[in-house]
Amino acid sequence: MTTTSAITEPEATRTAPTSSVTSTILSFLSHQYLVVVVAVAFIVVGLIKPSFFGAGNVQNILFETAFVGIAACGMVLLITAGLLDLSVAGVIAVSAIAVGMVLPYTNIGLAILLAVVIGAILGLLNGLLVTYVKIAPFIATLGTLYLFLGASFIWTGGNVVTVTSSNFRALTTDSIGFLPYPFLTLIVLALLTYSLLYRTSFGRTLRAMGSNQRAAELAGMRVNQSKVVVFMVAGACFALAGVFMAGRLSSAEANMATGIEMGVIAAVVVGGTSLRGGRGTVFGTVIGAMLFAVLSKSLNMLGVSSYWQYIVTGAVLVIAVAVGARRRSAAEVRGAG
Amino acid sequence: MVDTSQAQLDAVASIEHEREESARRGARAARRQSLLQKLGIIIPFALVLVAGIILVPSFLSASNITNMLVNGAILAITAYGMTMVIALRGIDLSVGSTQAVAACVAAVSVNAWGLVPGILAGIAAAIALGLLNGVIVTKFRVPAFIATLATLGIYRGVALLFTDGAPVMITDTAFRSIATSSLFGIPVPFVLSVLVGAGFWFVLEKMRFGKHLVAVGGSPESATDSGINVKRIQLIAYVAAGATAGLAGVLLASQLGSVNGSLSTGLELQAIAVVVLGGTSMAGGRGNIVGTFLASLLLAMINAGLNLLNVPSFYQYIALGVLLVFALSVDSAQRAAVRRVFEGRVA
Repeated sequence: MTTTSAITEPEATRTAPTSSVTSTILSFLSHQYLVVVVAVAFIVVGLIKPSFFGAGNVQNILFETAFVGIAACGMVLLITAGLLDLSVAGVIAVSAIAVGMVLPYTNIGLAILLAVVIGAILGLLNGLLVTYVKIAPFIATLGTLYLFLGASFIWTGGNVVTVTSSNFRALTTDSIGFLPYPFLTLIVLALLTYSLLYRTSFGRTLRAMGSNQRAAELAGMRVNQSKVVVFMVAGACFALAGVFMAGRLSSAEANMATGIEMGVIAAVVVGGTSLRGGRGTVFGTVIGAMLFAVLSKSLNMLGVSSYWQYIVTGAVLVIAVAVGARRRSAAEVRGAG
Repeated sequence: MVDTSQAQLDAVASIEHEREESARRGARAARRQSLLQKLGIIIPFALVLVAGIILVPSFLSASNITNMLVNGAILAITAYGMTMVIALRGIDLSVGSTQAVAACVAAVSVNAWGLVPGILAGIAAAIALGLLNGVIVTKFRVPAFIATLATLGIYRGVALLFTDGAPVMITDTAFRSIATSSLFGIPVPFVLSVLVGAGFWFVLEKMRFGKHLVAVGGSPESATDSGINVKRIQLIAYVAAGATAGLAGVLLASQLGSVNGSLSTGLELQAIAVVVLGGTSMAGGRGNIVGTFLASLLLAMINAGLNLLNVPSFYQYIALGVLLVFALSVDSAQRAAVRRVFEGRVA
């Protein structure tokens, strides 16, 4: 019964079946609120700097949204399942370097496929460490982050791998109208992620083990297997983000995405997914990614030192989680959480 | 009549037996745990030491030994604070950035105001950052790993803004000689690391605060129920982590003579690795300062050995990752062994 009600509910309301109408409206409003924040930030900065509305800048924002958002689609699955992956930057580096290395020898489709498969394999490693060696996810993936980064440094000898194929660059950076391909990919991927999370039994297992792993095991769900698979899916998403980044930069190197994990996790959390697991919002995640893209481009446009981006991203992340914790404890008091 | 009393006696005897059995199990579990814990650090330590002496040329040269002692000492000092936080079932991912801020503040202040104010300013800055971590974790109830992941970014930004991305040269020679001078032939940072370690050991093992801290790590709920002020202890532990990262940052600045905003990137991984390798459990409830100290020296030996063998520094990442996974596997095997003993699945 729980599952049917969860499945038939629309995205914003797919919380626990016990959630009341009030909390449904609240959670819907909180998403709307984020959209409003993004829109206001966009318009205010645009009024200060009219060039902010220029087609080039809007495209930049969409590109940035896409890179973080594509990775965040994988991350939202993990966080919903009560897991986490800090090795995003490592997976992106390895897969982007793989694309750069093989492009001269093969066609574009195979190169992208290879990158995604490599991402899934690296995710498999994370999943095995977490599931069978029983290392806490954040610490296991912190270790593999440096493992993957080290591997990329060794592979490239610390150099930059240039991507010369103009066809590959076209495929990853062209646009339909003003919507770049990566952004369109993000939309498709977000729809797929949403379907995976709310329309399949695998997604149901993820949500169940996110809210109570022991109960999910006792209910006969394949928790261990699902954990490994979700790490692989996430790894594939990170690799896809790496493919597009390689195209945009026309190059790949070990340091290309250093620190991106914070932005990705922040996008997921700001979007309204609880770090406690059990529920995730894909729409919110995409909006969260967009918020950070708008913020970072605004800071650029306003001539603020790029170092401030570290501070802004971190501060927004802490505030989002702190507000979430406050709201959650309020819900616990009412017995509705 | 006789039968009932006999039955009562039997029941009493069986309870007694049960109690003894459970005490024996507890002792066995503790023995096994402490054995695994000690083997987890002593075996790799011995292996690396022997391998270093045999395989690495000039591993035992005076300059390399000094180098290893100084690097190990700086890492150990950072890791003491981390030991406290991890024993508390917390984590501090921001130590590297905290250290960078401390080193940069110390460098600028030493240039501006001289030796002692500079050192104090560096450590004070780190204490303030540690306090902020503690406040975010205790007052805003943000999970430690996400709070300190965010402050990792924030503090890094602060360090880079503070130095404007450029290196800061330290002109004060007295300051620069701290890390290179020695006391009775022993490098000063090493002496400091032993003293600070002794202090942390005393606090953790002998003082009420340490017992409370370990109790909070073992079970925050039970600790709260038994009247321990959990938030106060958490706050102090994060401040201690900031302070040790700051002290280590000052020593690092002194050792390098020139600092920049991207100093100590990735330090959190090294610190966590040595803490876990030293036998402090990621599940909280147990801190091992001596183990942390030994593991820091071990990591310094590995890095020095790889350097002397002219292995590219990228491989040190890999070595560190492997070491961390090894340490965490030992930690998880150890917990599984204890669980098995208590559940009676192993005789």
